[in-house]
Amino acid sequence: MRHHVEILDAKTREKLCFLDKVEPHATIAEIKNLFTKTHPQWYPARQSLRLDPKGKSLKDEDVLQKLPVGTTATLYFRDLGAQISWVTVFLTEYAGPLFIYLLFYFRVPFIYGHKYDFTSSRHTVVHLACICHSFHYVKRLLETLFVHRFSHGTMPLRNIFKNCTYYWGFAAWMAYYINHPLYTPPTYGAQQVKLALAIFVICQLGNFSIHMALRDLRPAGSKTRKIPYPTKNPFTWLFLLVSCPNYTYEVGSWIGFAIMTQCLPVALFSLVGFTQMTIWAKGKHRSYLKEFRDYPPLRMPIIPFLL
Amino acid sequence: MAAASATAVAKGNGGGGGRAGDASGTRKKKGPGPLATAYLVIYNVVMTAGWLVIAVGLVRAYLAKGSYHSLYYSIEKPLKFFQTGALLEVLHCAIGIVPSSVVLTSFQVMSRVFLIWAVTHSVKEVQTEDSVLLFVIAWTITEIIRYSFYTFSLLNHLPYLIKWARYTLFIVLYPMGVSGELLTIYAALPFVRQAGLYSISLPNKYNFSFDYYAFLILIMISYIPIFPQLYFHMIHQRRKVLSHTEEHKKFE
Repeated sequence: MRHHVEILDAKTREKLCFLDKVEPHATIAEIKNLFTKTHPQWYPARQSLRLDPKGKSLKDEDVLQKLPVGTTATLYFRDLGAQISWVTVFLTEYAGPLFIYLLFYFRVPFIYGHKYDFTSSRHTVVHLACICHSFHYVKRLLETLFVHRFSHGTMPLRNIFKNCTYYWGFAAWMAYYINHPLYTPPTYGAQQVKLALAIFVICQLGNFSIHMALRDLRPAGSKTRKIPYPTKNPFTWLFLLVSCPNYTYEVGSWIGFAIMTQCLPVALFSLVGFTQMTIWAKGKHRSYLKEFRDYPPLRMPIIPFLL
Repeated sequence: MAAASATAVAKGNGGGGGRAGDASGTRKKKGPGPLATAYLVIYNVVMTAGWLVIAVGLVRAYLAKGSYHSLYYSIEKPLKFFQTGALLEVLHCAIGIVPSSVVLTSFQVMSRVFLIWAVTHSVKEVQTEDSVLLFVIAWTITEIIRYSFYTFSLLNHLPYLIKWARYTLFIVLYPMGVSGELLTIYAALPFVRQAGLYSISLPNKYNFSFDYYAFLILIMISYIPIFPQLYFHMIHQRRKVLSHTEEHKKFE
């Protein structure tokens, strides 16, 4: 028995589209595709369809006949605005810092005084910092291309401006001081740098291990969610104590970098990043608790036992 | 902008009925509990009184001196006390007894506190500038009306005059306050440059630098996008609030 679907604007209740002869096992994704045919400016990624104008968005996988609707389903449409893919956003926001930091490292003209153009720092730690910073962003780019499995395809377009301002701005600010001709190396010298480097490397390995573990939880092309557990890799044992050890390791990396460079802007960047990641970790932790009855009770969102 | 944002954004400290643009009869959400309401009434009464003290202080000093120059000194202490005290409003939003955004309230209070402490107090040479009087008067009138608006709203007895004043006087007071603020910051610049105030330069062991002079210039530039937004937001609110009341009055 075929269904009819009418799509109304959630704000104005205006009738936007009437689809007749829709198969009952059609998914929301298929309905979105049909809707795009009559309104090509609203491609599926920017459509939010819901049963109630103020309700939650229906998922692409939802099947029409499983929804609480009669043979004629009324769906409300909201335009999510221009969308951009997560992959695009990640690549752009990570390529920026990689490139920008190098501009300062090589002391490209017009940044520092002209007598410093294309000169090189005499401090070993400055060269090491460049390697670490560059490695970090190369790692992120490669993970975006080959490791991560995204639940959502897209995000609002304005996010790319916001995110790039944040990443690129901070990268420039940090790089300016670290590569400055008047840069002062760490107070405790090589000892401090060695310790910081150890922290950084351990946390980078840890972060990567978690990304791989999360990837293995989810088959390619799927959007399944499962509770992550420790694997044979010791870096993943942090899952025993924390819901989002990837964020824990990320904060650790930047603390390492801050100690290595003894640069206040790096410490501030770490603090801001920590604040944001804590918000995300708490959200993720709450979702886990809601979705899984048997979620391990010992786990905290981001800092073992504390936060 | 500190003058502008205080009126534009603060829907808070007024509980039910105190929200900008939220004309009577459309509210569904509950206000703060009875204890919180009592506290907020006291808070708003105290603030109204405080700014009245400042207003009276200005008038008396003017009459005594015979001129409007350098009146800042006569109200310096209550101004610092009551304007800084407004930081409590951030707390009110944070604990939820006032339905405003913590971020927006912080922004507006911090901009006021910044002008009082980081500019006027810190750069003694500007304290005799007439621009200081300009923003102090704008703030004083705005705050007396704003806090009494909240007080009456909390008591569910808001005289139309106060509502009208809150949504009308800003038309003059905003530009006046903004002018006073900008002129004061501008006047402070040479002294900041000369003294290297709040500035740190390289090299130092934290590998950090800060140029307060450049920072102040950035602040002044930020008024350009921010002030029109706040101003036109209030104009929009005015149309909504005052026309809605007109309609209600017709049916009485």
